[in-house]
Amino acid sequence: MTDYAADTGFYAEEMTINVGPQHPSTHGVLRFVVKTDGEMINEAIPDVGYLHRSIEKIGEKVTYHGYVPYTDRADYLAAMFANQAFCMAAEKLGNTEVSRRGEFCRVIACELNRLASHLISVGTFGQDIGAMTPFVHALRERESINNLMEEICGARLTYNYIRIGGVGYDIVPSTMTKIAEFLDHFEPIVEEFNRLLSGNKIFIERLANVAVVSKEDALSYNLVGPNLRGSGIKWDIRRDIPYSVYPELDFEVPVGTAEVGSLGDSFDRFWVRIREMQESVKILRQAMTMIPKGPAISKVPRKFRPPVGEYYARVEAPRGDMGFYVVSDGSEYPYRVRIRTGSYTAMSIIDKLSKGIMVADLIALIGSLDVDAPEIDR
Amino acid sequence: MGVVTNYIKDIQAAITSTYEGMSITFSHLMRRPMTIQYPDKIPVPIQETLPLRYRGILEVDLDICTGCLACERDCPITCITIGIDMNKETKQRYFTHFDIDVCKCMYCGLCSEACPTGAIRHSSEFEGASYNPAGLVRHFAPEPSNLYKPKKGGETEDKLIAKVDIGLKYLDEFATPDGGGAAEEKE
Repeated sequence: MTDYAADTGFYAEEMTINVGPQHPSTHGVLRFVVKTDGEMINEAIPDVGYLHRSIEKIGEKVTYHGYVPYTDRADYLAAMFANQAFCMAAEKLGNTEVSRRGEFCRVIACELNRLASHLISVGTFGQDIGAMTPFVHALRERESINNLMEEICGARLTYNYIRIGGVGYDIVPSTMTKIAEFLDHFEPIVEEFNRLLSGNKIFIERLANVAVVSKEDALSYNLVGPNLRGSGIKWDIRRDIPYSVYPELDFEVPVGTAEVGSLGDSFDRFWVRIREMQESVKILRQAMTMIPKGPAISKVPRKFRPPVGEYYARVEAPRGDMGFYVVSDGSEYPYRVRIRTGSYTAMSIIDKLSKGIMVADLIALIGSLDVDAPEIDR
Repeated sequence: MGVVTNYIKDIQAAITSTYEGMSITFSHLMRRPMTIQYPDKIPVPIQETLPLRYRGILEVDLDICTGCLACERDCPITCITIGIDMNKETKQRYFTHFDIDVCKCMYCGLCSEACPTGAIRHSSEFEGASYNPAGLVRHFAPEPSNLYKPKKGGETEDKLIAKVDIGLKYLDEFATPDGGGAAEEKE
């Protein structure tokens, strides 16, 4: 470097620049300290903690029932899954039965939420790459899901729907009809979305062979969810560590297949999400026909005091394996709550992947990993 | 030669896929928009179009509130503060204050589920702008008012019957998650 500078008279050295925390493509407040050599990135160190709300500590101060609305805030794009993971842990601790209709209501609500979350993910991904229109189309569909959620549980984002022992409110037949109507409307929209964005030559060229995650890397960096499946590893908590009524439902686990480039590139991760939306539609249709009659929630005491013990419950959230570790000391309040989220581990691989790629590809990389700032910091 | 052909093919693919995208975008010009012109140019106020379960700003009907403090206990952030005092001569208990801090409220709905009479409930109101935080604290008992005592064998006062019915209807449709019954009747 120094020789080059001396020979040519140009001054060349690494430049440290700051991406975020107010950058539009970092999806929330997320900061990267990037060392660049011209347009090439030598190092990108993620700096997390801007959105820390100490949700875990709050868990020690509120009752089990009262903590459920706080879990909504762990990942506000997929609040239903945090609800479910915490409630599963609390139910296991307190030996509470979940009513069967409640389990199906949970599946329906969760899969709707997965659709909403993946729509945001693929929409903003397109926007980061420079395609504005798909973002608007994706958000429009998400708006319909939000309306459905409003009918199911009364809130659009922070649901507080899943309670210990079942769900807060039953899904009434009129809402079921609306969900079925929405699914009929949504399936062609996915095809249209593929024609608009996924099949676009410019979009494909921008993503193919960018930020390739090998199988070994994906495992050693503990990637989860669509990021892991994008590297070709068939691992889904719903299938491999079954919970709720997922074993009774018939669905496939989409994995990356090196559609346009090499296995585990940014496009594979994007494509896994698109196909997961189609699988979610399949699950929703099955769950809606299989849902039995009965109470939506089983009898749970108002003062919920689980016996001394600990349990780790995990669910397959849109950003991968989400787990709640709850320790009970026999009192009304949890002794300790620990949340494990997929985005946090996805952050750790960004530094490795960013070496030698362009600054613009860093944005594609962050988008393809679908990291979500509130979920990282909690 | 192969390089040049590929180059031209790439250009062709880019142009065709771009035009395909443009045709989809154009078709959306003809579709019904999802957005509405809030707050003007809408036929009915949004509050009236919201679903039944919508969790808006809390409202309290003090006339049917028994003062059991279930809502205050269940609130995870203690945004509800209730003061109850007793008149020493008549042994009549009354509210000194019943305040809900809308600033703090996170609209979780736990209080309205705990209420036995459906006195505290989520309205469909969501426009609560105020010039200062103190303006967002809702005082439901501006002057001391007596507690409601449910009578055995049902309510007799005309004014209260309607209020009790509204509260119970709210509990049935919203806060009681017993599911099967409500779902079967409507089918």
